[in-house]
Amino acid sequence: MLSSRRHTATDYFAAQEYLHSRGWTDGLPVMPPTEAAVAAMLEYALLPADHLIGVESVRARAISAEKLAINAVMAGCLPSHFPIVVTAFTAMLQEPYLLHGATASTGGNAVLIIINGPVLQELGIDSTFNVLGASDRATAPIGRAIRLVLRNLMDVRPGQVDRSTLGHPGKISFCFGEDETNTSWTPLAQQRGVPEHASAVTVMAAGSPRQLMNEWTTQPEEILDTFVAEIKTNMRHYSIWPGNYAIVVPPQLRTHFESAGWSKSDIADYVFENARIYRRDWADCGKGAVVRHKGDQQYAALPDADHLMVVAAGGPAGGFGAVIPPWLGHKSRAVTMAVGACVDCE
Amino acid sequence: MAAERLGVPAAGIMTSQFVSAAELMARVLGAEGFPFVVIEHPISSAGSDGLEQRARTAIDDCARLLIQSQ
Repeated sequence: MLSSRRHTATDYFAAQEYLHSRGWTDGLPVMPPTEAAVAAMLEYALLPADHLIGVESVRARAISAEKLAINAVMAGCLPSHFPIVVTAFTAMLQEPYLLHGATASTGGNAVLIIINGPVLQELGIDSTFNVLGASDRATAPIGRAIRLVLRNLMDVRPGQVDRSTLGHPGKISFCFGEDETNTSWTPLAQQRGVPEHASAVTVMAAGSPRQLMNEWTTQPEEILDTFVAEIKTNMRHYSIWPGNYAIVVPPQLRTHFESAGWSKSDIADYVFENARIYRRDWADCGKGAVVRHKGDQQYAALPDADHLMVVAAGGPAGGFGAVIPPWLGHKSRAVTMAVGACVDCE
Repeated sequence: MAAERLGVPAAGIMTSQFVSAAELMARVLGAEGFPFVVIEHPISSAGSDGLEQRARTAIDDCARLLIQSQ
C-alpha cells in the first residue's frame, strides 16, 4: 500500500511540466511515477513500501523504500535496477560517506557508483566502450535515480542544500560497472571485503574524471607515472588532502600490467609510494600564500595503498585511463556494500 | 542547533553566501527562524585584517545571540 500523495495530470506531457514545475526533476524528461510503476519496483526488490532504508542523520529524516522507488521510476529505471539504487543509497547513509557534507559542499562532487558482481550480466551493464559516458540501459538511470533522490528527499537542489560552485557533469549520473570479464584482476568489491560472486555497489563522493593517455610504453611503472602525474596535478590544483582515489584502467593498458604480472595491489602500492607532493609545490600554481613555513611538508595522495580503487573498464582500443579524485580528502570515504545485504539486522 | 536543544547556549556563524542554506536547514530541522551570526564572505582569501574584522563582528554578535538565547 503506497502512502505518498497522488497527483493527477491530463496526459504524459502535462505530467512532465507538472513535475518540472514542482522542482522534482533535473530538467530532463522523467517517467511519471504511476502507482503501478512504483509498486513494480518494490515488488522486484521484495520491499514493503514502508520499509525503512535508513535515516539521514543531519535531518533525522527517515527514508522509505516507497520514496526511493518513486525517484527510481522517474529516473527511468527498470524494476531490476531498483536493488542497485537501494544498495547505493543505503551505502551513502553509512557514517563514513558523510552524506550531508558531501552533497552540500561548494566543492561540487558527484556520487560515483561502481557496480560489481553477477548483476553486471543480469542487467546487461556494458563496461567497455564509452564506459564513463552512459554505455547501457542500466547505469545512466541508476546514477540519475540517486541524484533525484538527493534532490527530492534531501533538498539537494542547486542553491538550496547543494551549494556547488560549479558541480560537474557526473552530477547528472555517474555510474558504471567494472569489466570483470576481460581481466584476471580481483574485482573491486571483492578487494573491499565483499564475498566472491556477490553483487555489490561502491559509492564515492567524487570529483570529475580526469582523462589521461599513455600509449608510448609497455612498462607498468611508466604507465602509472602518468596516472600519478594526474593525481599530483589534482593535489596541486584542487585539494592536497589524502583520500580515496579511483583509477580506471582500460584493456590496452591492462594488457601491459597483466603481462608483467602486476595485480591491483601492486598498482596501489606503486601509486601510494609515488603520488606525493610537497606543500611548496603550491607556490608553482598561484597558491604560495598558504605555503608559509610548511614548504617541506610532504603530502601523500592516499592515506594508505588500500585507499586506491583500481577499476578495470573501458573500450578495447586506446591507452586512455582516468583518475577520479575525492571530494575533499578523507572527510568522505568510499563505502562498498553487497546488494541485498542487511544493515543493522538483529 | 543541536547544542541549544541540549540546553547549551550556542551561536552559529555563517558567511553571507550561506545564509539561505542555513535558513533552509533550520526549516528542515524544525526550527524556522533560528538566529545565527552572519559575517562577510569569503573567509579563505580575507587576509589577516579581514579575518580580524570578521572575528570582532562575530564576537559581538555571538555574545548578543547567546544572551538572547538565555
